[in-house]
Amino acid sequence: MNDKHLSSQFDAELHSVSSRVMELGGLVESQLHNAIYALTQLSEEMADRVIQTEDRVDLMEVEIDHDLSSIIARRQPTARDLRLLIAISKTTANLERVGDEAEKIARMVKSIIRSGSARALPSSELRVAASQATALLRKALDAFARLDVDAAVAIIREDDEIDREFDGFVRKLITYMMEDPRTISPSLDLLFLAKAIERIGDHAKNVAEFIIYIVKGADVRHKAFEQIQSAMK
Amino acid sequence: MIESPVAPVKAAKKNAIEVRNLNFFYGKFQGLKNVTMDIEERKVTAFIGPSGCGKSTLLRTLNRMYSLYPGQRAEGEINFYGQNILDASQDVNLLRARIGMVFQKPTPFPMTIYDNIAFGVKLYENLSKSDMDDRVEWALSKAALWNEVKDKLGQNGMSLSGGQQQRLCIARSVAVKPSVLLLDEPTSALDPISTGKVEELVHELKQDYTIAIVTHNMQQAARVSDFTAYMYLGELIEFGDTEQIFFKPTRQETEDYITGRFG
Repeated sequence: MNDKHLSSQFDAELHSVSSRVMELGGLVESQLHNAIYALTQLSEEMADRVIQTEDRVDLMEVEIDHDLSSIIARRQPTARDLRLLIAISKTTANLERVGDEAEKIARMVKSIIRSGSARALPSSELRVAASQATALLRKALDAFARLDVDAAVAIIREDDEIDREFDGFVRKLITYMMEDPRTISPSLDLLFLAKAIERIGDHAKNVAEFIIYIVKGADVRHKAFEQIQSAMK
Repeated sequence: MIESPVAPVKAAKKNAIEVRNLNFFYGKFQGLKNVTMDIEERKVTAFIGPSGCGKSTLLRTLNRMYSLYPGQRAEGEINFYGQNILDASQDVNLLRARIGMVFQKPTPFPMTIYDNIAFGVKLYENLSKSDMDDRVEWALSKAALWNEVKDKLGQNGMSLSGGQQQRLCIARSVAVKPSVLLLDEPTSALDPISTGKVEELVHELKQDYTIAIVTHNMQQAARVSDFTAYMYLGELIEFGDTEQIFFKPTRQETEDYITGRFG
């Protein structure tokens, strides 16, 4: 496909806003990475850093939305350009929410450290889930940068696995809590953290869906995996 | 594309015009190449494409405007409610009363506003004074011009503003009660407010008329039409629902053109 518009200024604007999304993605990714580090190392200092980054993420979201409105107002984009801008808007919102989840994890880590129950946490499973969700977000951002629909489909499938593991984890926590009520309090903390991680997987999946929207023009949100595959044809 | 969960109920569609394998020649130059398409009744069909793509040529074949020029000829079929208007036996004056046309630049006759409307009607009908008054009012109302000119029907049509002149021309076309209106870049000489009024009018008129519009302004096609045809070098490249054409065209050429990557 011909990638250049007649207006090179329009190309520059689209390129600039796409770069900003990638920049936001990078920021959120490092925020998430730091949140997981804070969780596994129980580092209050790192948790604070995650919370501080949140302001920058929020600001970038607002700036990107402003850029998008300006392009739409001045260029009246159509077809693929229009889909790209809509998808960027939605992707930005999802990335900002990943930032929120990272912040939640950081705040949770701080409260766990203060309560002194830190050492009682059997958090190894959580660590696995966290690294899975982080990897999924990274894949989603890579796929977005390259507009790679095959990678997007793989991400959607992988998120289903994360969701299933979350369900299994919840069942396990319930068993712990029934067997020994003293585990209820740390189990609830774990549940809260696991939920945040599971949501991050969902946001990565949403980003993957927007890639399909841009490239194929098909809205695959809330569709079964088989329907998504048939939309690829 | 994934099907929407509830399929929209489609009313039985009816075509006003069916173009079949249409070729058009300006002497030796072929302006249209094997065009086949349907123009649906009481819908707005827009033609877009770069200069020289054949969109105006196609529009001009639809009421045989080209017959005025020697050396121009059309081959194929244009069926207007089942009758092939390219037949030599077709009375072109009657045809143009049923398929009216409005041009890029407003072309009011150098006569009063009232006579601008009445002139064409008199060619086809013999109306009493009061019936003619009614017809003039009706046509001017249809063209959303009545309120602006009702107190100055005796003034010269040329004294109106550009936007009003264009609506006067639309009223003149409507006055002979055609079934199809062909609009050839009707707003390209108008300011944005007048353009908005003409577009609003197109929306109103499609309740009663079939409309085909040629426009250089893609956003205008997106705003006013139900169907859009993209043409290039005399060929119909893509023809479909306007929403689909502007959201996800099937052909790469269409995509490049509407997103401004053409060139």
